Amino acid sequence: MKKNLSILMAAAMTMSVLTGCVTVEPKETTAASSEASTTAAQTAPAEGQTEAQADNSAAQAADVSYTIGIGQFAEHGSLDNCREGFLAGLSEEGIEEGKNLTVLFENAQADGGTSSQIATSFAAKDVDLMCGIATPMAQSLYSVAMKTDIPVIYTAVTDPVAAELAQADGTPAGNITGTSDKLPIEQQLDMIRQILPEADTIGILYTTSEVNSQSAVAEYKELAGKYDFTIVESGISSSADIPLAADALLEKVDCITNLTDNTVVASLPIVLDKAAKKNIPVFGSEIEQVKIGCLAAMGLDYIDLGKQTGRMAAKVLKGEAKASEMNFEVIEEAAFYGNTKVAENLGITFPESLSTSAKELFSDITQ
Amino acid sequence: MFTILLGVLEEGLVYAIMALGVYITYKILDFPDLSVDSTFPMGAAITAVAILAGTSPALTLALSFLAGAAAGCVTGLIHVKLKVRDLLSGIIVMTALYSINLRIAGKANLPIFSQKTIFDNDVLNRLLPEALKPYAVLLVLALIVLLCKVLLDLYLKTKSGYLLRAAGDNEVLVTSLAKDKGMVKILGLAIANGFAALAGSIYCQQKGFFEISMGTGTIVIGLANVIIGTQLFKRFSFVKSTTAVILGSILYKLCVSLALALGEIHIGRVTITLPIVPSDLKLITSILFLIILIAGNQTAKKGKKNA
Repeated sequence: MKKNLSILMAAAMTMSVLTGCVTVEPKETTAASSEASTTAAQTAPAEGQTEAQADNSAAQAADVSYTIGIGQFAEHGSLDNCREGFLAGLSEEGIEEGKNLTVLFENAQADGGTSSQIATSFAAKDVDLMCGIATPMAQSLYSVAMKTDIPVIYTAVTDPVAAELAQADGTPAGNITGTSDKLPIEQQLDMIRQILPEADTIGILYTTSEVNSQSAVAEYKELAGKYDFTIVESGISSSADIPLAADALLEKVDCITNLTDNTVVASLPIVLDKAAKKNIPVFGSEIEQVKIGCLAAMGLDYIDLGKQTGRMAAKVLKGEAKASEMNFEVIEEAAFYGNTKVAENLGITFPESLSTSAKELFSDITQ
Repeated sequence: MFTILLGVLEEGLVYAIMALGVYITYKILDFPDLSVDSTFPMGAAITAVAILAGTSPALTLALSFLAGAAAGCVTGLIHVKLKVRDLLSGIIVMTALYSINLRIAGKANLPIFSQKTIFDNDVLNRLLPEALKPYAVLLVLALIVLLCKVLLDLYLKTKSGYLLRAAGDNEVLVTSLAKDKGMVKILGLAIANGFAALAGSIYCQQKGFFEISMGTGTIVIGLANVIIGTQLFKRFSFVKSTTAVILGSILYKLCVSLALALGEIHIGRVTITLPIVPSDLKLITSILFLIILIAGNQTAKKGKKNA
């Protein structure tokens, strides 16, 4: 009993040491004896000193240095681009990682519980600013930040008003602002009409659990009539449903338009493959999708969106503006992206009005 | 550091309520009930909608518990009356509730940031002294968890509670007492899912929003909580199983926090660099569980082999 107790104690001590400070040498963490606790206790004051020294030297290196926490909801190409763009936007404003910026980056792996723990850990470190990528992450950060004075900047939130991150008039709900990745749906419909003058029905595949997709589908339905389209929607609940849903949908439609739906985007190659076999064009909603084989998109470049967000964050960090006083922004201009290789495969040529105004045309399909 | 611990306790306590439910099904009834994956978000959905409709936050707790219990009954009825296997009846209810939850909430993400909750309301703000304000969430949670635990302990000592325990260990005994073992199972499932929905309701009020994906993996967390708790405190007979489950939940969240803390090593002032990237989070969390379980086995060598 006594021995067992001591082992348990040692394990508990090791754990508390691990949570307390990460500066412990690996040797100590593996030592499963009660000695671990004593050595840790002895080294504790010394660590305090080195920490203080490190802080001093960091302060000397740059006049003002910032620490920010970036929480990303899931591993996902578009969201990664947001983060990359965000850091690029900050560095355009002279706030560069490694120089005067320390970035704590965490990924919640699409788990709500983890995202709130990430938020708590950022607040505990008293970061200067938190950045939430995707709606659930932004909400988790906001939920924690409400009790502190840490500003929150979000990006890739389609509808900040519906997510209660902003008021109906666009003003922030609290000390929080950011950018929305709302799709330019009307321009997309107009583009589809120009490329496919004969088409009647547009198919949309979306995940019923994604609120962003739901509102996009609703908007598509509302605007489709204006361009003489009928929308056929197909809701799925997990990526395992995609092959069957795509087969069923492709029987009924002249073309497919794709949203920024996380689940569907992750399995987009399956949809593209099935559609190509039936010679049905698939339209995308952002640059990455066009690269991997969507015919065209009137859409977003998430790196640009991230940059725009980064510039907003820089203003907040420098004290030029308060997050609570900045309205959320949407991407300034929707741009046309096309894939000429896909067009060739389908026997389609882009109308000149589109191809001349294209932001980027890709001539091959990235696998 | 302190804020992190506070966060761990808050998170752990919310999930502890759900884990108490899983304890009933998994440990007592020996019924692997997957329906909690959907009853947890169901509690949240009902809460978000009810609060937006003006219901008192405290009342939503009761509403959620009842709705969860009803869903548990359905799982039980499918299993007992329709003779569907235990795992499958849970899967059926879990899958069906996904759509029902979306119907209840109307959409996949429903925020209630601006509403009053059990953690933030006029009564609480008036009663609580200023110094205790930062701990409001923890205090309310601790109170609810304690209440759930005591009620469950008391219930397990009643006649009906004994039957519940007998149904898991020795079904023949229940039958020999001229009781319907099916009814006992249904009752157990109802209580368990009631707890899960209650936890969902509290989670939603604490976080300020309902999100359809929040339930995914609930059963995994619940099972881990129950096993970590009961395994680790097996030898300490003075620790009741229900207490062990609650402690297990807190330990689970501590592991996640620890894994997060290890991942952040690149912040300036730290001396060691472990090659950890954020995507390693789950790997580290699971290694930590393993360490805990091995530690538990060390303390309880004479116990059963399997967790």
